[in-house]
Amino acid sequence: MTLHSLPALERRYRVTGHPELRVAILDVGLACCALEVGAAITAGMLVPEVSSDTGGDGCVVSVLLISGTVTDALAPGVIRAWGALEDPKLAVSFGACANTGGPYWDAPTVTKGIDQLIPISVYIPGCPPRPEALVAGLVRLARPAVLTHSDQSGESR
Amino acid sequence: MTSQGRIDVAPADWEQVVSGLQREGFVLFDFITAVDRGARLEVVARVINPATRVPVMVWTTLPADAAELSSLSGIYLGATWCEREAAEMFGVRFIGLGDSRPLLLRASLGEPPMRKSSALVARAIRDWPGAAQSTDDGRQGANPSRRRQLPPGVPEGFLRDNPLDSDVSGDVR
Amino acid sequence: MIPAEAHGTIALRASACTSCMICVRECPTWCIELDSHTEQVSDPGARRPKTVNVLDAFRIDFGLCMYCGICVDLCPFDALAWSPEHDHAATTAAGLVQGITELQTAWPPTGPPTDN
Repeated sequence: MTLHSLPALERRYRVTGHPELRVAILDVGLACCALEVGAAITAGMLVPEVSSDTGGDGCVVSVLLISGTVTDALAPGVIRAWGALEDPKLAVSFGACANTGGPYWDAPTVTKGIDQLIPISVYIPGCPPRPEALVAGLVRLARPAVLTHSDQSGESR
Repeated sequence: MTSQGRIDVAPADWEQVVSGLQREGFVLFDFITAVDRGARLEVVARVINPATRVPVMVWTTLPADAAELSSLSGIYLGATWCEREAAEMFGVRFIGLGDSRPLLLRASLGEPPMRKSSALVARAIRDWPGAAQSTDDGRQGANPSRRRQLPPGVPEGFLRDNPLDSDVSGDVR
Repeated sequence: MIPAEAHGTIALRASACTSCMICVRECPTWCIELDSHTEQVSDPGARRPKTVNVLDAFRIDFGLCMYCGICVDLCPFDALAWSPEHDHAATTAAGLVQGITELQTAWPPTGPPTDN
């Protein structure tokens, strides 16, 4: 997998029970938390959009979903994935490792929170968080305060 | 010196013994790793005879401050990976190991992290919430030993011997 | 459908907490903080006042918490319990730190599990 191909991995989803929400998720699945993202899809909480579905209502927010342990060695790759996403975009930190280092908070090789490197809009706690917690976190993304915050950070970049 | 699939050898005999095992049919290499026993470092290799499914673990003991051992990479090519890992994690120098580049860790990390003398700096510089004395554990007056004041993962005297400047503490949350 | 026994979050019943610090000390990620002080309480009929702990603050940083449940298992007074509550996402890392009020809100109606 080369980094320049990453945007192609971004995939559009509808969130079951939240028709207002359309997200294009680039899942940076670095550890076991990534399984919960898969669980959310197989359980039908996130429904992949088919390509003919692209038209229609509302804007689609690109979401970088950092699910798993970010090591210092991999952190540059996460930063490049963030850079490769097109605006409007938001970053979601999923699980204890991405949030703070979690179980590896004392390890010399693990990044103590991906928010040191890219701006995070929503932190989802858990080790791992349930698929339902992922949906709850994505719903929080759609709240006006978060979206406004994203616009401001976009201007300052 | 064999008991229940264990062979203890002198470091000088390491390569020869394992080579002999391979000729006897132990052609499947499983792993090499090390155990920090303080002043000693034990290195263990596990090989398997696929025909009989019998595994053997070969142990040797090295002085921790001069941990050098012949590489098995000439006998089992797959040992290269394990020896590179044991080298960077435990600080074992494998003589004759062709590729000794760090496999998993960045070179600037310093002391091999799996050595017990290697401190978890994050634990040393963060205030341990458990250091606060309980008001009812009965230890306050009678036994001011400050039980577990230094958390596991930080060797005794680490902070005294390694005064940390503010730059370091700013690096680790 | 989330089962009632799901490990969604950890809840606190402050009235059962004796500030013994066991959870704080055994937490592998050091995500629990506890502040307490002692007070003298005079029981009617008692010869001397007794010293009791008063819990001032109890915080769990769910950013660090690895949901291992060691604190729940070790609490001698069942002051901590698993709760199926899971919607605790925050827009800041500091927002993942929960105090007594939030931790009590998640207390499961079923109460802590018992051994039998």
